[in-house]
Amino acid sequence: MKKLMKIILQFIKKIKIGDLLTIFIFIVLTGYLASILWNFPQGEYLKIQMGKQVIGSFSLNQNVIKIIEGPIGKTEVIIDSGKVRISKSPCTKKYCLHQGWINKLNQTIVCVPNQISISIIGARTDYDSLNY
Amino acid sequence: MHYNKLILILIFFLTGCYQNETMQKKDYIFGTIVEVTIYGETEDNATHAIDLVFNEFHRLHRYLHPWEKSIVQDINQSIKNQEIYTTQDEEIFSIIKHNQELELKTHGYFNPAIGKLIQAWGFHADQFATDRPNSSLIDNLQRNLPHMSEINLHNGYIGSKNKNIQLDLGGYAKGYALDQAKKILRENNINNALINIGGNILALGLHGDRHWVVGIQNPRKPSPIASIILKPGWSIGTSGDYQRYFIVDNQRYSHLIDPNTGYPANNSQSATILFPPTESSGTLSDVYSKPLFIAPERLKYSLAKELGIDFYMIVMADGKISISSSMLNLIKWHEKIDENNITVH
Amino acid sequence: MTRSIIKISSQDHKVAKLASIAIALSLIEFFLPSPIPGVKPGIANIIILFTIIKFGFSTALWVSLIRVFVVSIIVGTFLGPTFFLSLTGSIFSLLFLFLFKGINGKYFSVISLSLIAAFSHIIGQFLIVRFWIIPHDGIFYLLPVFLISALIFGLVNGIITSTLLNNK
Repeated sequence: MKKLMKIILQFIKKIKIGDLLTIFIFIVLTGYLASILWNFPQGEYLKIQMGKQVIGSFSLNQNVIKIIEGPIGKTEVIIDSGKVRISKSPCTKKYCLHQGWINKLNQTIVCVPNQISISIIGARTDYDSLNY
Repeated sequence: MHYNKLILILIFFLTGCYQNETMQKKDYIFGTIVEVTIYGETEDNATHAIDLVFNEFHRLHRYLHPWEKSIVQDINQSIKNQEIYTTQDEEIFSIIKHNQELELKTHGYFNPAIGKLIQAWGFHADQFATDRPNSSLIDNLQRNLPHMSEINLHNGYIGSKNKNIQLDLGGYAKGYALDQAKKILRENNINNALINIGGNILALGLHGDRHWVVGIQNPRKPSPIASIILKPGWSIGTSGDYQRYFIVDNQRYSHLIDPNTGYPANNSQSATILFPPTESSGTLSDVYSKPLFIAPERLKYSLAKELGIDFYMIVMADGKISISSSMLNLIKWHEKIDENNITVH
Repeated sequence: MTRSIIKISSQDHKVAKLASIAIALSLIEFFLPSPIPGVKPGIANIIILFTIIKFGFSTALWVSLIRVFVVSIIVGTFLGPTFFLSLTGSIFSLLFLFLFKGINGKYFSVISLSLIAAFSHIIGQFLIVRFWIIPHDGIFYLLPVFLISALIFGLVNGIITSTLLNNK
């Protein structure tokens, strides 16, 4: 234990005074960005995008499975009673699957290799339905 | 791992008891998305009513299908074989009669008898054509253009001497379904709802203490160009070249065929109309947007007047907007509109 | 036909040696699982930082680019989106390293450089994802998590590099 403390102390000695300033600046920057980007209520719609193309916006208040075709295969998205997750994807690392469920506004899960992103967008407060 | 499942099941049960202000359900019928939103009802009432509505939509979808097995197809087949179609079904009689009236009222711009022409352009399939049809075929079909008036209706009999008639009620069915939905919801004591069938919308009552608001799609962008309120009973319909179309040699061919030329009308990008509460406001908001889209510019405005359409907005082929003053007063733009690009009528 | 002789300088030896260590570290990192998807300690950056202090910017540039290309070829992501992510992150990182390489001295050490490199790497990657791979703003929701990891690993990598510089 003491040896560990000694090693850690040695490491901390390396930090120069200017470094502390750098560290401080980056902590403030991160904290500021987090407070802006993370301050969100529950969302109501899911936007699915494949590359530049918006596949569509779907209500979170349903139970449905969506399959999206991307450049390396099919990604499966499950919407279930107000939350959504990616259940299947052809990528190797499966990071997108391990993210689990999301349901808060602006939360996003992406599968980079298959260029698919799913993100929670807000209730359409500007209109109740779309005429087209 | 198992805890997650447990929580999921719990959430399932909990959300079942929860009462929302609005309840919205979507389905995929008529080859498009249908959406019913009900305000201020318990989830059970709302769900029950919406299920009835969706059932009716499924029924109508099969009943009036333009190219799959349906009563319409049976009638088409009989006419093709120069046989008389006999039926006691009152509904199809009144539908055909209504369509005959509408063809006359719209000076032929709405003509559901030209199914062959629409099929020739490849729009009788869920996947559209990728090439233009033979021009002599089109010209031939256009020269021998059939009309709804050539259909004879008698007690229990439907027939026609013109075997080129092919009924395609695709431009009528969704509007008709809106009116049917309106009846069903009222019968079930639902008085505040918004019904959207493939973009064609009818409003019942209010959204709480405000009117229902609908967005209007920009024909060339994936965003609304404007939004407008739908007072109780009002409906909105748009005919556009941006949903069912194909492009060949940089030219867009939409499913809205001009009966006078046999070719897809291309003087407009979209035509939107609002229709006031009447027995068939849903139907008419669907049907009447078509002549406004198809007719040449110089005729659009007199046609609108004749059909009793006060609220309309047409995005011309070059992107310029022609809008009625009533519509302009009610509309709320979602984009910056250059004043030079708007003409008010 | 005259045979042309390509002279291999000692500089090239250096670059090759450093690049191979960087490549090895990257590969080890690739095969180790990470608790949060996409968050990596970026231990290859230790080599880049070490190189920039000891051998100058241009050497570090070579080492960094060779690393990105070779690793992506080995792993099989060459010319795929992950490759461009890696490349953009490295380029941004190198850009800011170039701008700030002078600060290493009395008050600042390589630790600051490491933090700067880590942050600019993340920013570069987010920008290319936003503007090319998945173009919408929801992506920025993930930014703070990556910035925090950049903070932690930037610090750790910087301390390790500092130790190496003192010992070598």
